[in-house]
Order: sequence, then structure tokens, then C-alpha cells
Amino acid sequence: MKKISIILVLILAFVACKNEEKKVDESITETPFLAIADFDAKAGDFVSKEIKINGIVDHVCKHGGKKLLLVSDEANVHVVSDERFDEALIGSEINLKGVVLEEIIDEAYCFKMEEDNIKSHSEGQSNDEQFEAKKQHIKEYRDYMKENNTDHISNYSLQYVSHSELE
Amino acid sequence: MFKMKFWRKWSRILHRDIGYFFIGTSIIYGISGIALNHMSDWNPNYSVTLKSFTTNLNFDNKKSVKNNILLLLDDVDRRENYKKHYYKNQNTLKVFLKGGSSLLVNLNSGHGEVEYLKRRPVFYESNYLHYNPNRIWTWFSDAFAAALILFAITSIIMVKGKKGIKGRGGIYTALGIIIPIIFLIMYL
Repeated sequence: MKKISIILVLILAFVACKNEEKKVDESITETPFLAIADFDAKAGDFVSKEIKINGIVDHVCKHGGKKLLLVSDEANVHVVSDERFDEALIGSEINLKGVVLEEIIDEAYCFKMEEDNIKSHSEGQSNDEQFEAKKQHIKEYRDYMKENNTDHISNYSLQYVSHSELE
Repeated sequence: MFKMKFWRKWSRILHRDIGYFFIGTSIIYGISGIALNHMSDWNPNYSVTLKSFTTNLNFDNKKSVKNNILLLLDDVDRRENYKKHYYKNQNTLKVFLKGGSSLLVNLNSGHGEVEYLKRRPVFYESNYLHYNPNRIWTWFSDAFAAALILFAITSIIMVKGKKGIKGRGGIYTALGIIIPIIFLIMYL
């Protein structure tokens, strides 16, 4: 009887500790929510971490179907996925969980973009209009960095984890 | 000799019977393959119709905007089709409709355009399957891909003589291999 009591006490203590650990884990892993309007300003604090965000699906990339644009009245966020998104999501308001990705645009990036643009134009893969548009795009990056006295621009997006539709 | 006869016989049986089984799947992948190859020239899933309109309704007031959108939809579509809306920028309102259609309204001029999407029958379903919608279809399409390899192997064995691999069949086989190699040499 004594042995059984000791074993029971030990089991209870173990279960209690387990539950306590679980509670702590849950509080640690609760996914933070970002308003879409604050995404660009605050995403830098969550690089490689999961966040939740609400928005309307404006469009799904028609080529691979693995990119999606989440929008609101104030801002938009690009979302990429390993799996194809369902086109029926277009126009739905969703709560999306994703990992924040950071793309750094600096002089090396602009130079590479410039090279690729010249190459694809010379090989006939892009027309004059596309060539000029990309050239202008690169110029805008450089102008922005110069005006803001910074050596890079951070572009943030999300790697899709899961979503649920909102009413 | 007997062995070759055996393999030839079984190649014909497998090529024929598995071929029958995958006729439908071959057509699905054939149709969607052509449709998706030309994605930059057309929308393979939907036919798109554009319709311009002008409205006097006001969409500036966020409180009454939903009601005015429904009134607009009475004219250009059906109010039951309303899904969601948002302000794309200061001058533009975008309204999403059920079935993938949408409309844009210029808030200053009242000019707008509805983009009606209508599913292309057969193409929509074929493209859906081509994109591996779930795990079960992945298994089935893997079986189809394996069958294609089997068709290639059995086609080498199953016909003998001048029309077989040692005659005309051999020339066609060589051409079918040379063309992708030339392409790779030129573009890779």
C-alpha cells in the first residue's frame, strides 16, 4: 500500500510538472498578430518567426498558383507557399499564419537585376517595354536608398503556414 | 528465341490493356498540357469578359458603401454575388464577386469595369487535375507516369521486323531522342 501511494504521488507530481511545462510552452508559442497596415513597419522584428495576419485575398498567381496577395484598405502583403493556393480564395477575407521572410535589396542586388535585365532583353525574352520598366524599377530602388541614406531596402513577405476563412 | 517471343507477347498485352486504362488520363494531361503551355497567351481556366459602366453612386462614405455596392450590383451583376470589397487606392474601389469575377470603380469619375470570369468547361477540370490537387491524385498520376515509361519500353519490344525498333521504329525513336538533345544543347 505504501509503495502504491509513493508511486501515485510520483506520477501526480510528474503529471503536474508536465502540465506546468505545457502551459509555459503554450504561452511562449502563441503566434503574434500583426495588423496588415503595420506589416511593413513591424515585420523586421519577426523575421523567420511565425505571425498571424488578416486580409482579403486580392489575387493568386495564375502561373504557379503558389503566390498570393493579401490586401486591406491600407496595405498589402505578398505570401508564398510550397503548395498551390485554391483560386476560390480570391475575394475571401482570411486569417493567415505565416513565417516572415526578408529580402534585402542592396547595390549588389540592383547590379544583378541590371545584368539579368540586359541579358533577357538581348536574348529576346523581354520586349522594350518590359526592359524599360525594369530599368526604371532598379533606378527607383537606387534613388530610394540614396534619398534615405541607407545601403539597403528590406522587402518583407510571408511564407505560408496555414489559414482560416473569416466571415 | 522463345524468350523474346514471350516478352513481345507480354509487351503487346501490357501496352494495349494499360493503354486502354489510361486513355482518359492521357486526354486530361494532353488537353491541360497544351492549355497550360500557353498560359501567357490566355487564361486556361476562365474565359474573361470585360464590361464598362458609369455610375452616379457614391462610394466615399465607408458606412454606406456596402449598400451602394449592392445597388451597383443590381445594375451590373447580381447583389447575391457580392463577396468583399476594399479600397485599392484613394481613387479606386475593388469589389470581389462570387465565382472569381470582380469590378473596379474610379471614385472620382464613376467609371468602372467589371471582369466577368466564366469557367472553361473541360479545361478547368483538366487543369485542376494536372496541378495535383491532393495526395490521392498524386499517387494516381505517379502510376500514370510509370505507365508512360512502361509504354516506352514495351513499344521497343512489341513489334518485330521492318516496322519494329530495327527498322522504321528505330528511326522514329532516334528522332524522338535527338530533338530534346538538340534543344538542350541550344538552350541549356
